[in-house]
Amino acid sequence: MGLTQDPKTDNHTNARDRRYLARYLVLTIVLMVPLVFSFAFIRNLYPFAASTMMLRDRDRGSDYYILRGETLTGETIDLPPINLTDALSGRHWSLVSAAVENKSFQITSLHPENARLAAAHVGDDLPRAARLDELLRAWGLIYNSRLPEASPQRLRSVRLDAYRWKGEIAGDSGQFVESWRALL
Amino acid sequence: MVRAGVCGFVFCEILLTSFSDLGQLPVTLLRPTGAMKLLPWRLYDLLLTPGGMLGFKCLMVISLGAATLGCFTSLATKASALLFVFYEGVLRSFGHFNHDEMPAVYILVVLALAPCGDAFSLDNLRGKTRLRRSEILYGYPILLMRILLAWSYFSSALIKLRVAGLGYLSADNLPALAIEHSLDNLHDTQYKFAFSLPQISKYTPIFVGLALAWELLFPLAIFFRRARFIILTIGIGFHLATMFLMNIFFPYHIAMYVVFVDWGRFLAKVRSWADRRVRRPEPPSLIERLTPP
Repeated sequence: MGLTQDPKTDNHTNARDRRYLARYLVLTIVLMVPLVFSFAFIRNLYPFAASTMMLRDRDRGSDYYILRGETLTGETIDLPPINLTDALSGRHWSLVSAAVENKSFQITSLHPENARLAAAHVGDDLPRAARLDELLRAWGLIYNSRLPEASPQRLRSVRLDAYRWKGEIAGDSGQFVESWRALL
Repeated sequence: MVRAGVCGFVFCEILLTSFSDLGQLPVTLLRPTGAMKLLPWRLYDLLLTPGGMLGFKCLMVISLGAATLGCFTSLATKASALLFVFYEGVLRSFGHFNHDEMPAVYILVVLALAPCGDAFSLDNLRGKTRLRRSEILYGYPILLMRILLAWSYFSSALIKLRVAGLGYLSADNLPALAIEHSLDNLHDTQYKFAFSLPQISKYTPIFVGLALAWELLFPLAIFFRRARFIILTIGIGFHLATMFLMNIFFPYHIAMYVVFVDWGRFLAKVRSWADRRVRRPEPPSLIERLTPP
């Protein structure tokens, strides 16, 4: 395919090309300036990322979680959530941690249902992991929906076990802290 | 070609992902982030249902499929960029703000505003496009896409040094980071190689230092072809290593390496190879050789 050679369209083509160049200039500014600001202030402001993965607080341990299910036969199985909600690839650990810490109640504009729940607990503290039960039930229902009604492998409950890791690389890999269980 | 590669990868990812399962999660766990805060809760309530998410997936598959094929390219790339920005915002509102998919988001935005369907597209086959004279119109978006991907690596290295300083190179840092991401069953993979790292912790500063140097040198891949090949090859190794050691994998970053391929040169090589194959006379078959004239 050759390039356009029609002289009648030259002016029109040049004007269009110039519009593209102006568009590129604006695009570069709109993308790069917020990215540089995100970097300068080390702040993620969607859709501009500060690339803060692979950083950790070196002097602190952390809590971690294991998701498990209990089948109708009483067997306890590991339930990696990537097999249940694959869309959240790479994010399940932060979703669970945020649910345990009630982070959806710590934003400026609460979901109306969260606002109602928070209002009902004015004066006393909101229970820890207030919405975790719904999350565990949702995962359990997704798991069960893939099995026949009569399957003994269906779950009757989903459990989240929390452990604390002290951050010592040569030490204990974790101590049990607490557990939450959602009946299906 | 870049458009087909980028949109094709995102298309496959979306096609193979279950949106209806995501729609079963409680919307009350959502914490809209950044620009996603501008949207009303009513929209999230409507969207985060199995039916709502399935409809959303259909929209994404249609627009990304059209963008991959180069059919109604201008409209399809714009719709794809918009939908993908929104989708990634929803995902980040559930979890943390990781940056794996972000270069793909920016690259889709660049493609949406560039004449990326002029050559390798169905629109071109249908005679709906024509090539422009100015090479910068095609060259600049490629340069910008390369800069955006290189920025992701370069800024990541600088932030590590800014936040953690030279302590990032301490012997405990990599083993601790890797173990921290290998304890639970909430990561995508469950590799346990991290627990072997303490045994070689005195050598890990060398690996971490080399990885930091590689990230800082990544911008060289924008301009130098030889450096590009080495840097991108190391990149694939780096991301595989983070998957096995930390259960963190960045498939979008690897897929976006497609913007570093010089497709014109690649196609010219394929054509010349094909021409040589056509011109070379076929060697006589065994039967011909054994048959007397």
